[in-house]
Amino acid sequence: MSPIHDQSYRHYGGGKAAPGRSWTVIAGAGIKSLIRKRAFMGLLIFAWAPFIVRAVQMYISANYPQAAILNPTAETFRQYLEQQDFFVFVITVYVGAGLIANDRRANALQIYLSKPLMRSEYIAGKLAVLFAFLIAITLVPAMLLLFLKVMFDGNFTFLKTNLFLIPAITIGALLQVTLAAFTMLALSSLSKSARYVGILYVGITFFTSAIYGVLYMITGSSRVSWISIGANVSQVVDVVFRLKPRYTTPWQVSLLVIVALVVVSISVLERRVRGVEVVT
Amino acid sequence: MSTPVVTTEHVSKWYGQVIGLNDVTVSVPPGVTGLLGPNGAGKSTFMKLITGQLRPSKGSVKVLGEPIWRNPHLFFQIGFCPEQDAFYERMTGLEWVRALVRLNGLSDKEADEAATRALTEVGLLEAAHKKIGAYSKGMRQRVKLAQALVHDPQLLILDEPLAGMDPIGRRKTIRLIRDWGRAGKSIIVSSHILHEIESMTSNILLINNGRILAEGDVHQIRDLIDEHPHTVYVRAADPHRLARQFLNDVTGDDVRSLRFEPGAVVVETGKPDVFYARLTEMAAGGEFGEIEEVTSPDDNLQAVFQYLVK
Repeated sequence: MSPIHDQSYRHYGGGKAAPGRSWTVIAGAGIKSLIRKRAFMGLLIFAWAPFIVRAVQMYISANYPQAAILNPTAETFRQYLEQQDFFVFVITVYVGAGLIANDRRANALQIYLSKPLMRSEYIAGKLAVLFAFLIAITLVPAMLLLFLKVMFDGNFTFLKTNLFLIPAITIGALLQVTLAAFTMLALSSLSKSARYVGILYVGITFFTSAIYGVLYMITGSSRVSWISIGANVSQVVDVVFRLKPRYTTPWQVSLLVIVALVVVSISVLERRVRGVEVVT
Repeated sequence: MSTPVVTTEHVSKWYGQVIGLNDVTVSVPPGVTGLLGPNGAGKSTFMKLITGQLRPSKGSVKVLGEPIWRNPHLFFQIGFCPEQDAFYERMTGLEWVRALVRLNGLSDKEADEAATRALTEVGLLEAAHKKIGAYSKGMRQRVKLAQALVHDPQLLILDEPLAGMDPIGRRKTIRLIRDWGRAGKSIIVSSHILHEIESMTSNILLINNGRILAEGDVHQIRDLIDEHPHTVYVRAADPHRLARQFLNDVTGDDVRSLRFEPGAVVVETGKPDVFYARLTEMAAGGEFGEIEEVTSPDDNLQAVFQYLVK
């Protein structure tokens, strides 16, 4: 006789993914949870305001000869990315501070790491969340501006003349985003408090700029600009856009500092993202 | 002999100067196995090593025949329920279990179905849409069990799953674990309470100070313990008179030594069964004064461990 209602465990019919793709689940969950927040969506939309302004500028300059002064140049795209620095900073703090810190506070890491998920996949998933939003306010709108420029002009002259802008925008935006994402994620792995992580990130950013400012006033030279995290990015991105670097620090030194910061961040993540150690 | 689900060979784990596990070589057979040890014995370290969350400082750990370290594919067949709470309190039980099973490669719909089944299995379906922050301790333990079994693993590793549960929740969970064992799952369950483990399985591993002290059938281990001197504390109206009788009795080779405490005599016996029988007769006869209390510190698991490591 069969039971009226079999309550025993039944096997699910779903597939089981091969390891290596679990980072997409982490990334997807993170992105979805942020998109649900109205305040965050408002911030994201606000971050596109400079894009609207630039798009209008391009439209007017393309259609009204008397507004030729507004004609965009290659430097316009550099300026646009620089304007976005502020939003990159704000969104990095908003999104990134809690990415790992909240998991640490909830003891969720030990659960995650007992699933078919490698530490590197977990980190990749968390990085992907930050990358997705930061690229959405830097690389995507900058490329879209370039596309709009071609569309408003009705020809490829500007693009042909400035073909380097495609790799320049890509590299410039990726430099901004990569440095912000790695350093913030490393800081997030150091604490269980997202608030503390946010304050630490803001503090480090402003502190390094302030130290540089003081040294600049004392020495009268910008050779020590490598001390400022933001100045290093500016210096290298200037070079990428074929502009004269704004500081006297060799751009190679600035690039080296950026690479070193990313390497240190990876090292911190490697040490901090692991199962909880039990001391008996 | 069936293939062990977990094998460790000369596994040690240090945390700086502190040793968590010390040269442990053990094979855990399929079925339900209890990992028994007092707090701080190394149970959680052992659990984390066999779930691949910690890398051994020395030695090797194999689970289901494969090295566990950096082998995420194995986690499709393993479910782990940690001792500590590991929740986002603002999520509902269903959301939490569903989010975790997505890591096994299930689609949203499949994950939803699997999570619902797992919550039903642990008797938490009615509370599935409540926020975890509003769950009682027993419900939290059960939702942790649900996430451990939601992907239908071959091996369940449960770290103190009964901790903090009320008696009814405890009974239900013990029944669940026994049922899963009967259904063919292998389960390693840790506890520091002997009778909890005994109610789930007869196969146990005794662990203390980072070493496996004994393994096998709980009854054999009890026999092993019973062969060794056993301490009995007897509080009586006239402990000296009682002690004289313990020693004068011609059959009194069961008493190895004794000492006095205020209002009591503490006896060390090599034959606890014989001694308890004599004591019962003496109490029933009443000629040696009232026997007010009989306790055995050896009933305390900690004392048993301390004895075994001597």
